Amino acid sequence: MAERNFEVSRLPGFATTAIIVFIILYLPIITLMVYSFNGGASIALWEGFSLRWYEIAWNNDAVKSATMRSLTIAAAASVISTVLASMAALGTTRRDKFKGQTVIYVLINQPLMVPEIVTAVALLIFFAAVKVATGYQGLGYLIAAHSAFCIPFAYLPIRARLEGMDLTLEVAASDLYASSWQTFTNVTLPLLMPGVLAGAMLAFVISLDDVIITEFVKSGGQDTLPTYMLGQLRRAITPEVNAISTALLGLTVVMLTAFFLLTRKKN
Amino acid sequence: MKKPIFTLALLMASTSLAQADGVLNLFNWGNYTSPEMIAKFEAETGITVTITDYDSNDAALAKIEAGGTGFDLVVPTHMFVPIYIEKGLVQQLDLARLPHHSNIAPEWMDVEWDPGRNYSVPWQWGSTGVAVNTAVYGGDINTSGIFLDVPPELVGKINVVPEMSDILTLATMYYGGEPCTEDTEVLRKVRDGLLAAKPNWLSMDYGATEKLSNNDWAASVNWNGSTMRARINNPDVAYGYPREGYPLWMDSVMILSDAQNVDNAYAFLDFIMQPENAAMISGFARYANGISGSAEFMPEDMQTAPEVVIPEEFKAAGHFTPTCSPKAVEYMTAIWTELQK
Repeated sequence: MAERNFEVSRLPGFATTAIIVFIILYLPIITLMVYSFNGGASIALWEGFSLRWYEIAWNNDAVKSATMRSLTIAAAASVISTVLASMAALGTTRRDKFKGQTVIYVLINQPLMVPEIVTAVALLIFFAAVKVATGYQGLGYLIAAHSAFCIPFAYLPIRARLEGMDLTLEVAASDLYASSWQTFTNVTLPLLMPGVLAGAMLAFVISLDDVIITEFVKSGGQDTLPTYMLGQLRRAITPEVNAISTALLGLTVVMLTAFFLLTRKKN
Repeated sequence: MKKPIFTLALLMASTSLAQADGVLNLFNWGNYTSPEMIAKFEAETGITVTITDYDSNDAALAKIEAGGTGFDLVVPTHMFVPIYIEKGLVQQLDLARLPHHSNIAPEWMDVEWDPGRNYSVPWQWGSTGVAVNTAVYGGDINTSGIFLDVPPELVGKINVVPEMSDILTLATMYYGGEPCTEDTEVLRKVRDGLLAAKPNWLSMDYGATEKLSNNDWAASVNWNGSTMRARINNPDVAYGYPREGYPLWMDSVMILSDAQNVDNAYAFLDFIMQPENAAMISGFARYANGISGSAEFMPEDMQTAPEVVIPEEFKAAGHFTPTCSPKAVEYMTAIWTELQK
């Protein structure tokens, strides 16, 4: 009988472990946030409360353009990768088992397995040749690269949702003479929506976060927020970087909350 | 079938940012370019400058070697200058187009890595030495013994920056060798010395400006500009120039072979060789430049700073680390790997 009542929360040390883990997870972020309000120029010496670093970051054109560029790339990449991932997920789940299924899974999830630096170097060499041949140096390369490595992050939640969905609804729709397109738009897609949204958000955040591939692929004037912040490292880091990080964190929290509220209402 | 491809090509060409008139693409270390200086240049010339950051010489070189970057100017450290020249990645300067070229200070004109300055224009330079909190240790700080024969007061309180070239150059000169040596006798001493000293170190980390400022570290191998900022926060911090020898470095601006805005690049190079503009670069990043007469335009606290103005008696001990031979690099890497264990 004891086994039936097993609960993780009753194990000895559960609360202590949980508290320690939360402290380790959040203490550095809290420290970072606190020092973004530092009046002095240090990220380790407290010199009184001030909003000056937010003001400096806000008036810094490099930060502004890097932020806009990050958001543009992330938005484009999340839309492209989510559309592709949805098609891939439908293609791999809404059909009979087929030969080479595992190979397809592996191929789709390739960015999860291949070390990022390998992809980065490969893209550097490949895109450099394309840049020389076409003369085009716009944001297209970054959007293409980001879309590619975001696909598995969008694919996994969508596929999980599809696999958990009740097939009988789609079968019923076909029985009632719905065309496959009608079945898709009226039955499958609405049911799939939470998975698609989750996938898109994950892709957006992953793209926003990327450093290595962006660093290698970017052309002139294409610093994103993370590569801009990386560039500050060799020189003294000022609380400006903390202020930018805190603002970015705030933005992410707002977005997550908005999505959470939107999806909850629908359910 | 050909038409859509042609339209696409046209669209791509029209959105390309590098070919427009009045622009300049500068590829430089992050947080290293004075925004005021750029604003002044843009106002005077009408050229719009786009700055893109990198954080290591190797990454910058790799990108430029791959090609198609659209950058016009790059700012490598001195030991990378010959590599860029040998690989044909940069163009020889037409000195007739640089009327202020003669402003380069005499000691920075005939440098080993670019005699006569036919390829590169000075940006900023500095040194690697030891920063010590004099409240903790009152002895002689002008020696690499600070981190190689750690004084008892500093045991367990000293940091060493994880820069292979700087640390091995300091250690090699401390044990009587030349930078980039292939002499195994000296290298053995260097290895044994470093391994014996390591247990006395607190850490091998970056971030000395902060950690020295708030007394987390009592000493660190560190760069001069960073030490100056730490000293401003914490007056006990002092900068030592190891008399056995210490590395100097200089970053210089070069025009890339595939630059698309060559005229604008020349305008920029000439602009930064004017003393008041060079002083703006220094005032921002806090390192000295190589332009005669710029000192009087610099912020007052820099004109006399002991970290920026090298005292006469220690000048001769400073050495520019040359581009080491592959064999020397192999030795250095082996020692460095052993040290990291």
